[in-house]
Amino acid sequence: MSEIATAATASLEGSPRSQVLLAIADDALVTGHRASHWTGVAPSIEEDLAFSTIAQDGVNHADIWYEVLMGDNHAADTRAAVDALGLGRRPTGYRHAVVCERPPRDFAFTLARHWAYEHFDALRLDALARSSEPDIAAVATKLRHELRYHLEHADHWFARLAAGGDDAAERLRGALASVLPEALGLFEPAPDEDRAVGDGVMPTGHPGLMAPWLETVAPALEDAGFADLVPVEADMPPDDAAGGRSGRHTNDFVEDVWPEMTALYRAHPGARW
Amino acid sequence: MPTVTVDLAEVRRVVDRVPDPELPPVTIGMLGMVHHLEVTGDGVVVELLPTFSGCPATEMIERDVVDAVEALDGVGTVQVRFRFDPPWTPDRIDDVGRERLREFGIAPPGGPIAGAPRPEGRRALPLALPQPSRPCPYCGSLDTVRDSAFGPTPCRDLRFCSACQQPFEAFKTA
Repeated sequence: MSEIATAATASLEGSPRSQVLLAIADDALVTGHRASHWTGVAPSIEEDLAFSTIAQDGVNHADIWYEVLMGDNHAADTRAAVDALGLGRRPTGYRHAVVCERPPRDFAFTLARHWAYEHFDALRLDALARSSEPDIAAVATKLRHELRYHLEHADHWFARLAAGGDDAAERLRGALASVLPEALGLFEPAPDEDRAVGDGVMPTGHPGLMAPWLETVAPALEDAGFADLVPVEADMPPDDAAGGRSGRHTNDFVEDVWPEMTALYRAHPGARW
Repeated sequence: MPTVTVDLAEVRRVVDRVPDPELPPVTIGMLGMVHHLEVTGDGVVVELLPTFSGCPATEMIERDVVDAVEALDGVGTVQVRFRFDPPWTPDRIDDVGRERLREFGIAPPGGPIAGAPRPEGRRALPLALPQPSRPCPYCGSLDTVRDSAFGPTPCRDLRFCSACQQPFEAFKTA
């Protein structure tokens, strides 16, 4: 890690507020990075544009949250400070859920994760729009509005595959069976999150988002004939998909996303693009 | 040393005229992205509202605004800030901007909808996803469908006109 990154982030990463904002930003960054894998190779031109846009949204939403995290506590060069925060940490410094770092696999898996994640993200932004910090509330309100397009896209594909022929429905079922247990890792709290919730920074913490998420996804799963896949609130993510918010990541991140995502930054610290 | 006073109206004029890098016939003034201007001594602060938060054109717009304002007499420093409050909404696009978008082949949001007049004389448009079809920018037909919620930029989607068999793009309702 570069000297710049160490200096810029060391003093910021500790507070409960920062940890929560890192979880939000890192989810978006890693989800966006994985979505970008479809650019040029998606099954149709519309899906190529869709996932390229979703990738662009994810990375930029992360960028905005890093900037919110830093507030006024950064050097004059905001761009360099945001890059340092987004790309200058060791893998254990990232607070995203493990499900976000999984490779895209096939299109069914991508769409299943997309559907589970976007509904979670919408609820989280709804909560953040009520933040006691005006900047956080304003950003969440803006991003929530943009997310309508992601939700519409995710719901459309969910319904289309679920009602599709045997192959489509079976592939979606298989993908959901693999994604949904791991998606429970999205609801792990960031370190010291209780304090950020108490301060009103994030009025509903990650664990508190699980019940409304289940209220959203369960009826859709039941209607689609996947009632047996509905997660139970008391369920925990499988062990190898747990601990992401505390910096415990799998080789999908440590040996794949992280080296790729940070390659340019590590080779040329302070580079501009 | 002679002191030249920065003319706020002049600042507004040059900022309003900065083109959208991705849609050059349209300016950021027409899009309603200019929120607030402030002149203090020789310092100018420009507050802009990004259309979509992930718009990669914002950095170019920032540079173009700085260049345009710095060229004015008496200007020392120029600071551009992007803010999300109030959020940009498509009803901020003025009538000239809507017509320029249409000429460029991009269907503008909304339509000639009767509604409460905005303070600046613009019509308020619903924020819901665009369920009604957009008029084709080429032939004007309303017999059009949206093919995809995502297009070549974060702010555009893909549509098709059944009347003239022409694909076209539409400005999204961020």
